[in-house]
Formats: sequence, C-alpha cells, structure tokens
Amino acid sequence: MNIMLEAKDINKSFSGVKVLKDVHIEIAKGEVHALMGENGAGKSTLIKILTGAYTKDSGSIFWKGKEVEISSLRDCQNLGMACIYQELSVIPVLTVAQNIYLGREPKIGKTGFIDYKKMNRMTQELIDNYEFPLKPTDMAGDLGIGLRQLIEILKGLSCDAELLIMDEPTASLSGKEAEILFRTIETLRDKGVSILYISHRLEEVYRLSDRLTILRDGVNEAVLIKAEIKLQKVIRFMIGKEVDESNGSVKTLTKNTNETALKVENLTSRGKFNDISFEVKKGEILGFGGLIGAGRTELVRCLYGADKYTSGTIYLYGEKHVPGSTKKSIKKGFGFVPEDRRGEGFIPLLSVNKNIAVTNYDLISKKLMAISSKEELAMCLSSIEKIDIRPPDPDKQVGLLSGGNQQKVVIGKWLMRELKVLIVDEPTAGIDVGAKDEIYGLLQALARSGVVIILVSSDLQELLRLSDRILVMRKGRIVKEFSAGTVTQADILEAASGLMEERL
Amino acid sequence: MKQSIMRKLISLGMLLGLVIAFAGSSRYFLTSGNIISIFRDVSIVGIIGVGLTFVILTGGIDLSTGSMMGLVGMVMANIYQYTLLPIPLMLLAGIAVGIIAGLFNGLIVTRLHVPEFIATLSTMGIFRALTYIIAIKKNGLITSQPLKAVDFVWLGGGVGGFYYVIIVFILMAVAGQIILKYTSFGTNLYAVGSNVKAAKLSGINIEKTRLLAYAAVGFCVSVATIFQTARMQNTTVLIGTGMEFNVIAAVVVGGCALSGGRGDVTGTLIGALFMATLNNGIYKFQISTSYQLIIKGTIIICVVIFDSWYSKRMARITKEQKRSEASV
Repeated sequence: MNIMLEAKDINKSFSGVKVLKDVHIEIAKGEVHALMGENGAGKSTLIKILTGAYTKDSGSIFWKGKEVEISSLRDCQNLGMACIYQELSVIPVLTVAQNIYLGREPKIGKTGFIDYKKMNRMTQELIDNYEFPLKPTDMAGDLGIGLRQLIEILKGLSCDAELLIMDEPTASLSGKEAEILFRTIETLRDKGVSILYISHRLEEVYRLSDRLTILRDGVNEAVLIKAEIKLQKVIRFMIGKEVDESNGSVKTLTKNTNETALKVENLTSRGKFNDISFEVKKGEILGFGGLIGAGRTELVRCLYGADKYTSGTIYLYGEKHVPGSTKKSIKKGFGFVPEDRRGEGFIPLLSVNKNIAVTNYDLISKKLMAISSKEELAMCLSSIEKIDIRPPDPDKQVGLLSGGNQQKVVIGKWLMRELKVLIVDEPTAGIDVGAKDEIYGLLQALARSGVVIILVSSDLQELLRLSDRILVMRKGRIVKEFSAGTVTQADILEAASGLMEERL
Repeated sequence: MKQSIMRKLISLGMLLGLVIAFAGSSRYFLTSGNIISIFRDVSIVGIIGVGLTFVILTGGIDLSTGSMMGLVGMVMANIYQYTLLPIPLMLLAGIAVGIIAGLFNGLIVTRLHVPEFIATLSTMGIFRALTYIIAIKKNGLITSQPLKAVDFVWLGGGVGGFYYVIIVFILMAVAGQIILKYTSFGTNLYAVGSNVKAAKLSGINIEKTRLLAYAAVGFCVSVATIFQTARMQNTTVLIGTGMEFNVIAAVVVGGCALSGGRGDVTGTLIGALFMATLNNGIYKFQISTSYQLIIKGTIIICVVIFDSWYSKRMARITKEQKRSEASV
C-alpha cells in the first residue's frame, strides 16, 4: 500500500488534560479513510494538528514517507493537502472561477490585470475533469450549499491536492446534495485522490470508506477495513463499554402516568422539521436524541417561541398555546436554556444579580419606573443559595465564572419563577464533571416538583441518565420512541443514524 | 449578478424620476449651464466616493473625509504662503498628506484594531483640529487663505465648457472600476467584505487590503481638495465640513452594502449624480438648508430599508427555487 499521510504517536494536551494519546492514523493513496468517534473523542483535535491549526505536543507526521512539520494551513496546502471546511469558506459575491483562484488569479502578462478568459478556461477544465454541475461564471451566492461545497472541493483540487480532508461534509446538505457529494467522492477516489472523511453518520461511512479509524477518549480504538465495518462492531468500538447499567450505557425506562402537561400536534417548520407530535406528562423528563442537524434545536426553539413555525398546535394543560413571543411563553410558565450558552444564555458583562433579574423583572416590585434593588438582590441571593453558584458573589460578572457556574446562573433565573415547562438544550456541553452532576440533580429535583423537562442532548450517557422517555429525531422527523423497557446507547445511535430502517 | 444589475437599474430609475420631476417644475433645470453645474458638483463628491467605495466594500467606513479635505487644503495653503516651492510640488505635497492621513486611519483600524466607525470619528476631529492649528492667522484671527497662483487656479476652469474636475472624475471612476473588476486587489476587497474568514483561508492579506483601501480614500480626498480649492481660489478651516455625509450618502444610494461585499464604482457614480441633482433641485426651489438635510437623511434611510428588504426577498426567492429544484 502506498501511504500518503501517516501520523504517528500524536499526543496533545489542553491545560493538563490529555485529549490525544499516542494516536496513529495512516491514509493510503486513492482511499477514502473515515475517522469516527463520539463527541470529544479527539477527531477535531487530530484534524487541527494535521492541518497546522494546533501544534502537537509530541509525535511525527510523514507525507509520502518523509517526515514533515505542519505549522500552518499554508504548509498543509504546499504539501498537497486541502481541507474542505465544515463552515463553508466560499465567498458568495464572487463567481465560481473567482472563488477557486482567489488569491492566485492568473494575470495578463505583467500588467497586474486578471486574465478572466484564462481563469474561466482553467476552471472549465477542472469542472470537465470531474464532471461537476457548475459553470465558471456562476455566482457562488446563487448556488445551493451542496454546489458551494463542490466549489470548495475544486479549489482544493486546483492546487493539485492529493489528499482532501472533509470534516462533516454532509452536515448541512440535503439528501440529494449529499448524493452528488458521494458520487464526487467516488470519482475522486477512482482518480487516485485520497480522502480523509470525518463523520458521525454511520451509513455514510459504511457506504464510502475503504478503511475506518475509530477514536475513543483520545485513544486509537480500532482500524477496520471495509469488510469489517459492521454496525454492531462500530458502535461497540465507539462506545467502548460493555453494556452495563452502572456506567449509564443502558437504562430501564418507566412509564409516567401523570396528567398530560404539554401536547404538540403536527408541528411543522418548513425546511427544519416536519409533522412533530408528542405528549409530555407532568413531572416527566422527555429526552430528544438525534444527530446534529436532525432538527431538535429548531423544534425546541419553536416551542419556546424564539422562532416561528409554519403549522401545528401546542396545548399546555389542555389549553391551546400559541408561543407568539418569548415574553408570552415566559408568562405561561416556559423556561429555556439555549444550546449556545455563551452567545444566547447569559449576558457576560452583567453581574449574576442582573442576569437573574433580567427575566424576572415582572416579579420584582417597582416604585414608578424604578425597581426595588432590595428585592432584586434578595432574589439573586435566594437563587445563589438554591443552585450553589460559586463564588456566591451577586456582583460578579457572569462572563468571568466557570462554564458550570455560568450554566447554573442560566438555569437559576428560571427557578425563581413558577415553571411549568423547562426546555434545556445541551445543558452540560463543555462543563466539568462535578458541575454536571449538580445540574443533573437540579433538573431531576425540578421534575419531581412537577415541572416538565424537555431535554435535547447529543451526549448519549446524559440522555439515558436523565430521560424518563426518549424520542429520537432524524432529518426533521421523530423516527423512534423509547418509552418502556430497557434502552442502550447503541439503540439510540442506531435509530439516530437511520439504521433501524435499513440494517447493515 | 442579476440582483446587482437590478439594483443599479433601480438607482438609475430614481435618478431619472428626480430629473423628470425637477425638469417639469423648472424651465431652468435642463439648461446646459445648470447641467454642467450639476456635473461639477458631482465630481468632488464622486472623486471621494471612488475611494470610499473601496472602503465600504470591505465592510468599513470613513467618516473623516471632510476633515481630511480641510487638512490637505490648509497644508497646501501653508506651502503656498511660506515656501517658494513650485505649484506641482505643492500639489504633490497635498496628495502625500492625503495618503498619509488615509494610511493613518488604516493603521488605527488594522494594527490597533479600533472599530472603523470610532477610528475615523476620532480622526475626523483630529484632522479638523490640525487644520485649525496650522491655519494661517493674522492678528490672531483665522481668515480664509487665498490660493490665487495662476498656474493653480486654472485647475478650477475647463476646456470647451467642460471643467477639468469633471474629466478627472470620469478618469478616476473608470480607473476605480477597472481596479475593482480586473485586479486581484479588487477581488480581495469583495472577498474581505463578504466573508473575512474565507478570505483569510484563501491566503488574502486582510490587513493590507483594508489599509490600501483607506490609503485610496486619502488619495481621492487630496485630488478632490485640489480641484475644490482651485475653484474657490482659497481655502478655509471649514472647507469640507459635512462632506462625509454627502459622500457616504452617494455610495449608499449607489447600492453599496454597508456590511460590505456588494456595490461598485458605477453604482457610486449614479448615487453621486442623484445626490447632486437633489442638491441642485432643492437649491433652485429655495428650500432652506435644514430641509435639505431632512430630505437627504430620509432618502438614505429609505434606500437602506429598501436594500435590506430587497436582499432578503432575493435570498428567499433563490432558496425557494433551490427547494423546488431539489424536490423535482
């Protein structure tokens, strides 16, 4: 086998925590090599080291058998590697050809003027070579995301890249667009281009890859060849543990027989999710599982009234509820802990005191326009005590707290109200283990007091640990409900990847 | 592509509507004398507009153009008053001051990472203050400073009823458009304004691109100042006051997106013509200056509202097309 890129014994730590331990990966010429692993397994860190965004602590990288140092994206490109970014780096106001040759446009002699004729011709040759449905003069902004991705691939190929790194390339593609991409990948492989394909979608990996490297907790778990890529095997390597109640990889669900608190009927938001119906009982924790982009976040944002939906009905304790605005939802007893904590959860420059007060000013008495700062402070102190924010300083800027304590502030402000429904989206992403347990405790206590908790989580362990019932979404639809009996992480992963329907 | 052409037709239509309205209500409006006078007014704003188009394309802004004009004019007046330098050298010095002032703005923005708005708001004050400091005083009083050298004031004139300033403006607009469309610097301006991250990943030097755009504004301001002072045959500490408003208005009406990435010099040309026609018409109708500003301000707001509505609409339409294509 002709090895293009080999990384050996790669180690990397962030502030003392080892995220990669002696990781090894090799990509042969003309192969599609997939890289898989759960969130936090170290996939992105490895890619960032290979593309020069991070420096490795130790280990070595070989390109065509020669040891190389990659300390910037430029180094990476000069070797002949191109990275297709998850966040598209195509410029909408430029044409396909302008995008491909951006920064290295062919010039007319020495005049400094761009030779558009030549540039468009070169682009056309590239397009013909790979039979892409593009025209050199198309405006990138007028094209769909799938075609824009093809521009990016062409950009890589135009610098004679022999290895393409694709990081979750189908994350924002429609089914049809993904199909075009898969065919493109197959064509490229046949032409001898190597591809390192990072994905968490099993069915894609199964379809495309010649070999698969699985990482778990920063360690090489397995390298499988095509014949060995079998669902059960892959899942076992990714999750790593034996199925066991004690470590949270399996759970026995129990039925909640309380009155129905929240009922959703045929909720649809065009292009985001379709025909969603479910009920939640009082005091129940309903978990939503699924892959990133399955429409879970979009769904809960609509429930809360942060976004608008196209059609459908929501009932709260039998009463029709139209979440026209977040203000209205809050009045009705909804609370929301958003996925993007830093961006949407709290106001970093304001104190704990103000952050807690800001959603609760309707509960604080006012004289004319002036709010009672005494009551404001009392409210803050009571929530600090209730949720144990450290340091217990009402004047501390929330931006300066640790991630866990920031999240406690976000949850804490809702505890001051009479909640009926609390929606939490990835509540413990990026939070240390201790604070995680405390947040779990808080949510469970809330549920016991009769609050409905709607949990969106990509952390399977968390989903199993907290949920009384689990709905799995895929491509904007609910595809599976786990309501009674035992359920394992593997079950959820299977449903989320769509492998329930078409078993490997 | 379609969107930008549509947008240009819309601003042309607005201009045409304005011309028809004024022509219908005043016999004087369409006389050759008045039209030439409109073009003369367009030129000063337009010349600066060429440079500002570059900056706005990158997503930046320059509020200091009016003050920069004051500074360039006063430096030239000092050279004229106190040195025996020949006029061409005086002009070169003026242009150098403009470019330095532009680079100064650019360096504050790119090296010290001060937001464009604040950086140029500050230099707007600084440049004007410098103008006062170097102003030539008689008995402690600042007076307007004559610039009456014969080999200077001819620049304020013209050939065959066509003022030189108009010719220079046309040349600079053509050059500006060529730079935008046919050089990699031009492409880089669009790239930086449209998607900085992507531009960076493509190996474009973002800071250099933005710095050069600010320097271009400085150059354009100095050229405009030369013709403005040659026409007035003097300069004052107040020259150029409020100029930034007219220039920004022209660029915005011409279809440049303030968020960057959209627009070009031909748009700015139309925008400048629109603003100058409006000025001229309002003036002939003897509406007071205060109302002029209200009318101009309102027009800018309307254009910006229209632009954001229009882009959203276009985005929606293309999205729906994509969807129907995908479902076929």
